[in-house]
Amino acid sequence: MSIVEEVCGNYPEGFKKADILSDPNYVFINDPNYATRQLFDAENNKVFVNSFIECEHYVSGGWGFNPLKNSELIYQELFMYVVIFGIVITFLKPKIIEFIKN
Amino acid sequence: MKTKQILFGILVILIFLLPWFNTDLQNNYSIPKVSQEDITFFEINPCKISIVQFMTSNVESIYQNHFYFRANDKSSMKCFGRITGVTVIQGDELQTQFFISVGTNPLINLVLQGLFWILILSLVPKSKNSLSNYKFKNISIFLVSYLFTYSVYAESRYYEASLYEFNFASLRSYFLIFLAFLLISKNLIDIYHLRSENIINFVPFIYLFTFIFSGFNYSFFAALFVYLGLISFFNGESKSKFNFIYISLSIWWLINSNGSFYFNVGKLRGFTSSVYEFNANFSWIIFIYFLLLGIYKFYSENRQRFKLELFSKNLSLTAIMMMLTGIMSSNSPIINFYNYYFLGLQRYGEEKNTPFAFSEDVYELKISWRGIFPSSETVGEFYGLVLLILLFWIFKSNKIRTIDYIGVIAASLGLYFSDNRTAIVLVFIFSLIYIYLILFKNLFNPKFMLFLIAIVSIGLLIFLLNDNSYKFISNSIISQSFVFQYDSIYSSYLRLLNSGQETGSLFSSVFGFFSMIAFFLNRSEMWGLFFARYNPTFMELLFGSGPMNFGQLYGEVVINNPESFLLPHSSILSLILFIGIIPLILLTVMFVYILILNKKNYEFVLLSMYIITNILKNDSINYFVVFVFYCLLYLLFKNNSKKTIFR
Repeated sequence: MSIVEEVCGNYPEGFKKADILSDPNYVFINDPNYATRQLFDAENNKVFVNSFIECEHYVSGGWGFNPLKNSELIYQELFMYVVIFGIVITFLKPKIIEFIKN
Repeated sequence: MKTKQILFGILVILIFLLPWFNTDLQNNYSIPKVSQEDITFFEINPCKISIVQFMTSNVESIYQNHFYFRANDKSSMKCFGRITGVTVIQGDELQTQFFISVGTNPLINLVLQGLFWILILSLVPKSKNSLSNYKFKNISIFLVSYLFTYSVYAESRYYEASLYEFNFASLRSYFLIFLAFLLISKNLIDIYHLRSENIINFVPFIYLFTFIFSGFNYSFFAALFVYLGLISFFNGESKSKFNFIYISLSIWWLINSNGSFYFNVGKLRGFTSSVYEFNANFSWIIFIYFLLLGIYKFYSENRQRFKLELFSKNLSLTAIMMMLTGIMSSNSPIINFYNYYFLGLQRYGEEKNTPFAFSEDVYELKISWRGIFPSSETVGEFYGLVLLILLFWIFKSNKIRTIDYIGVIAASLGLYFSDNRTAIVLVFIFSLIYIYLILFKNLFNPKFMLFLIAIVSIGLLIFLLNDNSYKFISNSIISQSFVFQYDSIYSSYLRLLNSGQETGSLFSSVFGFFSMIAFFLNRSEMWGLFFARYNPTFMELLFGSGPMNFGQLYGEVVINNPESFLLPHSSILSLILFIGIIPLILLTVMFVYILILNKKNYEFVLLSMYIITNILKNDSINYFVVFVFYCLLYLLFKNNSKKTIFR
């Protein structure tokens, strides 16, 4: 599953990507059937999107961050280092004790 | 030295208590009391306040039994020990019930619960001669962790509901689980190596500490036996006949693993597969193989150190502590939650604080009370065993200690509370037989045996001559099966029974006798339900469909579902499903042969008969601790070296 599908949902049937960047006056039209979503960028700034086309545009531009997921991944990484430290200590325990005794 | 120990104790307590103080320090919340009308604070602020803050603001939640603290395993690490939500429910007796969800992240659970249990095991005194390191120690520890990680992969559907932000398609996620379990298993095995001689006498405590990780379908203690099984395998100690039979069966089970049937593990968590699929079946086949080897190695390595004096003392202590923790759990919701978490229970402890209660209908039946154990019937079996073993010990040693008195009182109360009537009757009868045998010294005294056979034969003849009642009773299972059979959908076994009944075949007569046993054990309905579901092919009937796998049974055939979820209520039926009738017949022949060989070992004969009668009518062997305990007890009491353990 692509990041766009993960954040915005499945692509609607017959979806055509609009050339938004080349049109400075482009206005996103609200889709009443699309549930509003909140997107985040890398600096935790928020934006609300009201249609799939708008969501796809923002996510493709780097607004696909999920702060909750990101913080969990950071915690998991930290957890991994703590566990690796524990494993190293556990395996080296006899040698550490011997070293301290000497 | 003492100050050091005290400081260490305080440090340890802090480590295990601190996570429950985890709170959002950036904001200062004014926490309201929960009420039926307003729980908005907890809806707006999930994962903000710690469980300790909740308790201080809602002091009544500590002791009022309409509060229920529940572990929410699918929580982030940040949320550990915090309140993730509160739900209000109108209970059966119009009582308002508050369900307080507490964040417990499975990765943290692995380390926190694992380290706590390692600390508990370190309380077992060290051996005089610590076990020398095995040749394949480290590789076996790695394999134990790998098997655990593989089980997470194989049962991913179960873990999707409990692992937070866990990418099942990414190796990194599995690596994290592998590392956490490696840390735990390495420490567990180091602890075992220093205490192996004594741990065998402390085995009864596995009824108190079930050691199941919250959010996982795996037992912490299983890692030890799987490790020993691997060592036994690498050292070539496993029996070649057993290997041949098990591997042949495994090949069939794996070839036959078609389809995908999910099973809600419920109270069997830790010792049953959550899905009937190739990978899950493979994982459980390997697990059971090494578990069996490991149990045997544990027994053969430590049997010389087995001391009935200490074992019976620990049985008494366990019975006492189970009663106490059960009573505390049922009287305090918060103790119930912490017992569940730190004892590693499969299910929350009993919430009814009235162990003497009777039903208020016309029958006025005793309401069973299970304490902290997941099943009242199984815990009743345990208390019965405690009474029998204490009786053996008291008679053989000719002494009775204070702890024995308290143990007998606790076990008798526990047995009464559990309302396991079969266990009550068996304990009574076996105690009488044992006392008789102690006086006459010979179980197979011809006069005594003739007397017994005559009584049983006369009783059976009187009953069988009354043709109508036998007809009714021999049809009890099949008639119950038809109650659960849905529309025109028949399970293959029910079809077989039906055709057998029409033609009046020998099979039908044998099954009729089996129905009679079910009738007298009050199991017609449960076993009828089993046969309404049981849909084996001919080969599955002969060789089963794989160990610890209920998925196929519960998912293959549509039936009229009973009001509540019901297990087969017979370990023998579970075995027919798992290994089929041919291996089961082999096991039965072996069991009877060993029983005859050890006929002078009264304690072994009586304990074996007690266990076999109970597992015939209960799901006992589907609980990890019970399976391990029964295997060890059977091996320990068996007169292998032509001496009973009492001499």
